[in-house]
Amino acid sequence: MEMVVVAPPAPGRLENLKRRFFATPLQALLSLISLAIMAFIVWKLLDWAVFSAVFTTSGGPEACQAAAGACWSVIAARWRIILFGLYPFEEQWRSALACVAVVVMTALSCIPAFWTGRRIALVWGAGTTLYYLLMKGGVLGLLYVGEEAWGGLALTLFIFITTCLIGFPLAICLALLRRSELPWISRTTGIVIDGVRSLPLISILFTFAIVLPFALPQWLVGDKLYRVIFGSALFFSAYQAEIVRGGMQGVPAGQEEAAMALGMSYWQRIGRILLPQAMRNALPATINQFVISFKETSLVVIVGFFEILASGNAAYGTGEWRFAYVEVYAFIAFIYFVFVFSLSRYGAFLERRMAVGER
Amino acid sequence: MTANSTKPHRPAVRLENLDKYYGTFHALRKVNLSVERGERIVVCGPSGSGKSTMIRCINRLEQHNGGKITVLGTELNDDVANIEGIRREVGMVFQHFNLFPHMTVMENCMIAPMIVRKRPRAEAEATARQYLQKVRIPEQAMKFPGQLSGGQQQRVAIARALCMRPQVMLFDEPTSALDPEMISEVLDVMVTLASEGMTMICVTHEMGFARRVADRVIFMDGGEIVEEAPPEEFFTASRNERTRQFLSQVLGH
Amino acid sequence: MVSLLRNQKVRNALLQVLYVGSLAALVLAGIVIARRNLAEQGITSGFDFLYKSTGWDVNFSLLPATANDPYWWFFLIGIINTLFLGSVGLVLATLVGTIVGLARTSSNELAQLLGRTYVDIFRNIPLILQVFFWYAIITHLPTPRAAHEALGMFLTSRGLYVPFPNVGGIAFAAAILAVIAAIALPIWIGRTSRLSQPFGERLGIQLAAAATALTTAAVILALGRLPDLPLLDFPALQGLNLKGGLRIPPEFSALAIAIAIYGGSYIAEIVRGGFKAVGKGQMEAALSLGLSPWRVFTLVRLPLALRAMLPILANQYVWLMKATTMGIAVGFTDFFMIVALTINHSGQTLEAIGILMAGFLAINLSLAAVFNRINKAIALKGNQLRG
Repeated sequence: MEMVVVAPPAPGRLENLKRRFFATPLQALLSLISLAIMAFIVWKLLDWAVFSAVFTTSGGPEACQAAAGACWSVIAARWRIILFGLYPFEEQWRSALACVAVVVMTALSCIPAFWTGRRIALVWGAGTTLYYLLMKGGVLGLLYVGEEAWGGLALTLFIFITTCLIGFPLAICLALLRRSELPWISRTTGIVIDGVRSLPLISILFTFAIVLPFALPQWLVGDKLYRVIFGSALFFSAYQAEIVRGGMQGVPAGQEEAAMALGMSYWQRIGRILLPQAMRNALPATINQFVISFKETSLVVIVGFFEILASGNAAYGTGEWRFAYVEVYAFIAFIYFVFVFSLSRYGAFLERRMAVGER
Repeated sequence: MTANSTKPHRPAVRLENLDKYYGTFHALRKVNLSVERGERIVVCGPSGSGKSTMIRCINRLEQHNGGKITVLGTELNDDVANIEGIRREVGMVFQHFNLFPHMTVMENCMIAPMIVRKRPRAEAEATARQYLQKVRIPEQAMKFPGQLSGGQQQRVAIARALCMRPQVMLFDEPTSALDPEMISEVLDVMVTLASEGMTMICVTHEMGFARRVADRVIFMDGGEIVEEAPPEEFFTASRNERTRQFLSQVLGH
Repeated sequence: MVSLLRNQKVRNALLQVLYVGSLAALVLAGIVIARRNLAEQGITSGFDFLYKSTGWDVNFSLLPATANDPYWWFFLIGIINTLFLGSVGLVLATLVGTIVGLARTSSNELAQLLGRTYVDIFRNIPLILQVFFWYAIITHLPTPRAAHEALGMFLTSRGLYVPFPNVGGIAFAAAILAVIAAIALPIWIGRTSRLSQPFGERLGIQLAAAATALTTAAVILALGRLPDLPLLDFPALQGLNLKGGLRIPPEFSALAIAIAIYGGSYIAEIVRGGFKAVGKGQMEAALSLGLSPWRVFTLVRLPLALRAMLPILANQYVWLMKATTMGIAVGFTDFFMIVALTINHSGQTLEAIGILMAGFLAINLSLAAVFNRINKAIALKGNQLRG
């Protein structure tokens, strides 16, 4: 049988618009309202942020405050403190380079070629070491800068990567312990995981920063920064452990049986058969967890660290820029947005790709 | 742990009064079976009769609750070294292939010899090629399991087990999950293996295969071995009513 | 000995004892060390401190509070503050989320774009940054003298002043319950009545129920009115400050706004996911039965979507409840801040941390229990939604 396909006459542009946005009176109303809201916001925002804004520091804070729009001069004047905190001025290039190292490390981890346990460990190990050496110095003729002088975006990134670096292996351990066949081990681990998950992150950070020194012998107290990082890693791992466990449940039981039948030991089965498949299953949720924990890094401001939020507060809080808080917060929000949005877009892309692959 | 090695007679696999419970369900009731080296055993029976459970006990995918299992002179008990030793010498082929989907066919065949037997990579690769040749799919070596048909996957699974150079092979319904047109390619490989003197215990409903290669056919029902006989006797002159009923169902009406 | 270690059963038993034992030892050692350290500072452990007066004050409380009140009273105030802020945040976030989520699922592409932009922006900025932002905005509002005024309300840097009825506490609470009933009753009637009932008749009953409840509220307010005062207390400028009315402090507003906006962006995604989970087949079936689009929405699409949303929504609510702990960032005396202040002032560290954990465990468990009940009550029997 022969099919004769008659293409409908190509609709004109106006026709097309009408069909898409003004098909029914209700649709037309919705379109008009949406359009009005959008136009209003876009116009107000552009006017504030661009047309009426002041970009240069030449006029000083006074000229800036008088302007109707945004005062971006505060960023021009204070961007160093926001990004690098109180890091010594001449050495701030090191802080910048360290941030670049973290970004490169994150970008590399998004490439599938690096998704084997050894390679990803190598990338993260190398990236973190590079960051640490650059920031701390004391070697290769670099001036020594202690952790107490780190701050701004650089400190935020440091807390984030160390949280992941400690939290991720911990999460895998917790997940393995929770799915153990030995009832006492799995039950106890379950209590630990659920207990941590039922608490707010702030209370855990507070406990590790302020309460824990009482409960530790003197030689174990260590620096407050590293205690807080450990607390945040513990919190991360409790959530990530459940994600990893979900991934493990997605691996058919036959896989482990086949590995057993081939004579593989427990660790060989876990390392070669179970984990590679489980991590693949858990990948989208894992990236989501990274996104969440990057945002949550900002909470360390509460236990008194000079990370990007605190340095932002300092950037406008003192002296002549007191009025320019919106601009500073907008700038910090933008930095967070760039990191978080790109990471979550990447996660969504992976999820779609994996959904196609399964078909 | 090899105290019984002094005994003169050493069968490949020996089950004595084997008992297995799932909760309160009695899956195996005092099963006795002795398999000589080079012997080919076919186990059949209705579903739920305990035949899969029995062979899964032999490499401890299931833990038996009573009785004694001896494999190649070593007793299968709680000793971890014994369990791993026995698993190295006993290969298994599953109903659902259970190939590792994140590895190529070649890697599937190489991984166990390399990490369990600690063979060098080159040797493992040569062995893998040899056995892939034997199961007649050397050209698929670089593909992933998901890219192969069911019959091809099962042949890879057989090659993977053979690469460990096992002394005993267990087959757990290897053709049940296959489309009809793919069954013969797997059976052909199994026949070749049998002709080379491999000790084989096969749970299968392929009665043609049983007739061609089996030294003994075992019929199980309700967790017990009901009948045990050479194939010609089993198929023509079975003594037990339940066996005859089962055969009439399997062999067609 | 070696062969004993190779025995699987012995090994398993040993592993379990070692694991549980070392964890228990760790916790015990921590507690022992902490008790010794605290004793050195002259702090006696135990819960006696709960009955001592605190000597410090809270900046927000629904119950009367002074510095003379004991610690247990302050903990109660903290819990109530957390629950109050949490519930206000949840309601607002749900409202925002529903609107944005509906925009995202609507067939209008412009509305979709608007919804998507909202979600993309506010989901990707940390909540605490948003709290700081709104707090800065509110505290930079004009002073009471130069405040914006509308409808008897004043918007100032010291908070939002609204008119408040001059009634007793119990009467006020009863009136609020009546208002809640005015909203809940019609919904309940709508859910329980039969479809066969004429639409108009049902609407009549619903309106009558709502009107009765509202009248009851008005009567309660009139009866509970404090003597010799006008019914409504309007805030008014007196000297440099505003007097009268109810002051909603900036800390509370900043947190509520931030939680509503941030939580709204998450709930919007949950709403969208819920609607996406409703199969096209069900809607087509309903349309083919001749139901009007509105009835298809209320009878088929919405109930099915709600069932798909609820479990995820429950998790999100628990998360938002925990997010109230950000109160400490701007100085809102929620449960966690009370605990932190207690540790600062009394030094009863272990006890306070224990109370904190128990409090959040209780909040989480009771929320989970409520949602499990709702979930069970509305769950579809069998698994028709699948496949």
